[in-house]
Amino acid sequence: MKNKLLALLGGTLLSASAMAGGYQVNLASQRQIGMGHTGTGIQTGTSSIFFNPGAMSYLRENGVTVGASGLISKIAYRAPEPSGVEAMTDNPLGTPFQLYGVYGINDKLKAGLGIYTPFGSSVNWGDEWSGRFGLNELSLTAIFIQPTLSYQITDQIGVGVGFIYAVGGVNLQRSIPVQNQQGEYGRAELDGNASGIGFNAGIFFQPSEKFSVGLNYRSKVDMEVEGGDATFTVASAVSSRFPAGTQFDARLPLPSTLTLGVGFMPTEALTIAVDASRVGWSAYESLRFDYTAEVNGADFSESARNYEDAYIYRIGAEYKVSDVLALRGGAYYDNSPVMEGYLTPETPDADARGLSVGLGYAVSENFSIDASFLYINKEERTDTGALAGGIAGTYKSVAYIPGIGLNFKF
Amino acid sequence: MLALFAGILLTSCDPEIDAPSASAGELDLTKYVAVGNSLTAGYQDRGLYREAQLASYPALLAMQFEQAGGGEFVQPLFGTDEASGSGYLRIDRFENGRPVMVPVPGQAFREGTTLPGGPALTKYTDPVQNLGIPGISVLASASPQYGAINPYFERLLEPGEVGSKTYVQEVIESQPTFFSVWLGNNDVLGYATAGGEPTSPFDNLTDRNVFGSIYNTIIDGLTTGGAEGVLMTIADVTAVPFFTTVPYNALALERQEQVDQLNAAYGSGALGFSFQLGANPLIVRDPSAPAGLRQIKPTELVLLTALDSISGRGYGSARPLPDRFFLDESELQMIAEHTTAYNEIIRKAASDNSLALFDANAFFDSIKGGFVFDQVTYAPVFVSGNLFSLDGIHPTPRGYAILANEMIKTINAEYNANIPTVDVSQYRAVLFP
Repeated sequence: MKNKLLALLGGTLLSASAMAGGYQVNLASQRQIGMGHTGTGIQTGTSSIFFNPGAMSYLRENGVTVGASGLISKIAYRAPEPSGVEAMTDNPLGTPFQLYGVYGINDKLKAGLGIYTPFGSSVNWGDEWSGRFGLNELSLTAIFIQPTLSYQITDQIGVGVGFIYAVGGVNLQRSIPVQNQQGEYGRAELDGNASGIGFNAGIFFQPSEKFSVGLNYRSKVDMEVEGGDATFTVASAVSSRFPAGTQFDARLPLPSTLTLGVGFMPTEALTIAVDASRVGWSAYESLRFDYTAEVNGADFSESARNYEDAYIYRIGAEYKVSDVLALRGGAYYDNSPVMEGYLTPETPDADARGLSVGLGYAVSENFSIDASFLYINKEERTDTGALAGGIAGTYKSVAYIPGIGLNFKF
Repeated sequence: MLALFAGILLTSCDPEIDAPSASAGELDLTKYVAVGNSLTAGYQDRGLYREAQLASYPALLAMQFEQAGGGEFVQPLFGTDEASGSGYLRIDRFENGRPVMVPVPGQAFREGTTLPGGPALTKYTDPVQNLGIPGISVLASASPQYGAINPYFERLLEPGEVGSKTYVQEVIESQPTFFSVWLGNNDVLGYATAGGEPTSPFDNLTDRNVFGSIYNTIIDGLTTGGAEGVLMTIADVTAVPFFTTVPYNALALERQEQVDQLNAAYGSGALGFSFQLGANPLIVRDPSAPAGLRQIKPTELVLLTALDSISGRGYGSARPLPDRFFLDESELQMIAEHTTAYNEIIRKAASDNSLALFDANAFFDSIKGGFVFDQVTYAPVFVSGNLFSLDGIHPTPRGYAILANEMIKTINAEYNANIPTVDVSQYRAVLFP
């Protein structure tokens, strides 16, 4: 009888939405952010470790780059009409960063190490909003560590490949729709560390001083969580359905990215870059948690994601005003991988437009500074989320991302 | 400088979602009056108390109306010093998976005065707009004596009006610009919750012609001044956990010894039935059956109030379940026929007077299988279904909020209004120990 009576308690708890969606973070170099985050078809300095390891072999000096961005994002929500119910995220400041070092073993062979953060998400809807039984907050982090070798086969062609070791973690919190005598809702928190491996390979071809082209492939990285902690706070009458000490396993794919880029250098002062990327989001079919104990009657939960491969188109330019000052600008259009019916509050994704500006300033022969600012505006999107356990309504996201980077040559 | 830049952006460039503004459409929401019974009063957990009143659907409607130019809405709220009102039930603990309920004592009683319908409640004679009277039926609303019987009605009346003023008069005097009427439930529920064995004259099934005459008097009176409104139909008893929680085959026999004992006690099959291991139909009293008892049929409904008697005192097995604890086929048919007839009267009144109609009967019928809203599961299931309170008949605050939203959608459609709906997540369901 107990099972029967309680069978419907928070029936969709944990079976529904979860970690993240279009959670790629394309902020890998302060110079390139200023240029619309292009960079696969041109020489980008040390950040070729990320954009195209094939171009890394063209570096004539050893160098170290360190940079970071401050990601300020806000998402507005409005429940389906005629509801007047609204919410706004209170997301913590995101801090994607990058660190690149390149060392020339000889004229043709370069070794490099990149540490960067190409995926992540930080969304906090709080525990008052109407969708809190779908999600309170989510934090997803991934740091890629990539040792890389690049070889210049001829003056015109370079190839490179890097091995990726990724470490990160996930923290997901949501309210459980069971209230205690004080009217307080229960809470579920899933917290775990994750790791995975992959590679990044590229080829760079520069037939003339005025034209270059590059092809880059960053593989999918499956982030595996093993033995993460599932912690539940619920009214004591139902606590037996949410056992203490429960652990979970999960797997989150960080999708592959295939990019073709070209560069035009009509004058010595002007560089124009165009990139087209295909992101292999179709790898993200579902989000599944396997528990070590039965949680509210089931030892796993799974909800569909069925992302589609998505395409990103970028254009950017750099103009060297003088020997020490460069101005940059760029734009991109980023297709959402989230199909209709699959929108969730973790990443209420939509087609996005990005606009960027940047500048570079050479303090000395060996030291330069890059500053960038990127504005991302996602299209307003209305969805039921019914196929993925989402929260129906209209979502609108914007982000403001200032960043700064330091470059040392030796 | 970056921080300053970011700060300016943060305050001036929040994402915005454009939406149509709230509007009353063709309605004048200056004075909203709610007419009805316990459902309108906000009654739940077998009682009327302050917290429940604050989440009554009329209070929620009025709150939303205010965003579209609606006026003040006064309820006969129990004061904070008498917040538990009539008293109500709460879950103390679970035993063998079943909730054990204990009463929270009422605080709003008038010392020494008891009416036929229960102890008298503290008076609230200022004009109110929530005229929900727990227990009232369409039949009772035309009775001058009813004010001396029902403590919830007596509470609202001046001493001189008690026993002389009808509820119909009280309603028509209220002169609203907009009204809601959800009456008629008790014209079947009194009979149904008594297992078809009513003990009070107001608990019989009301004659449909009498129902129609009184109901239309109320609607005519309310619409005389040109007021608009929304009418609600009556849900089927089969949509309510009070009648659906205890299954007909609630007699669970786990040991052969129990089976043998019962078979021996009931004539070893001579009465036309025998017992088996597992789930068995309950044994009920039926004067027309051989030996005055029989197995209950799958189509018949056991009342929630029978639960303790079945599990604790051997009713339905060693002792046949008395008539007052179940509804047999003929009683159910009577209830269904009357419900249908009343709803026809209500629907006709709505269309004749061009009023909005919230078809609660159709709504509750549509959610029998449950539904998911914002990742919470709802179903007409006792305790765990989030919709119904601990009496199994009346909604939880969240249930009332969901009903209020359905009413708002109906009103919007009928009157070209755009009244925003309620954030249901701000209202509680059943509280667990």
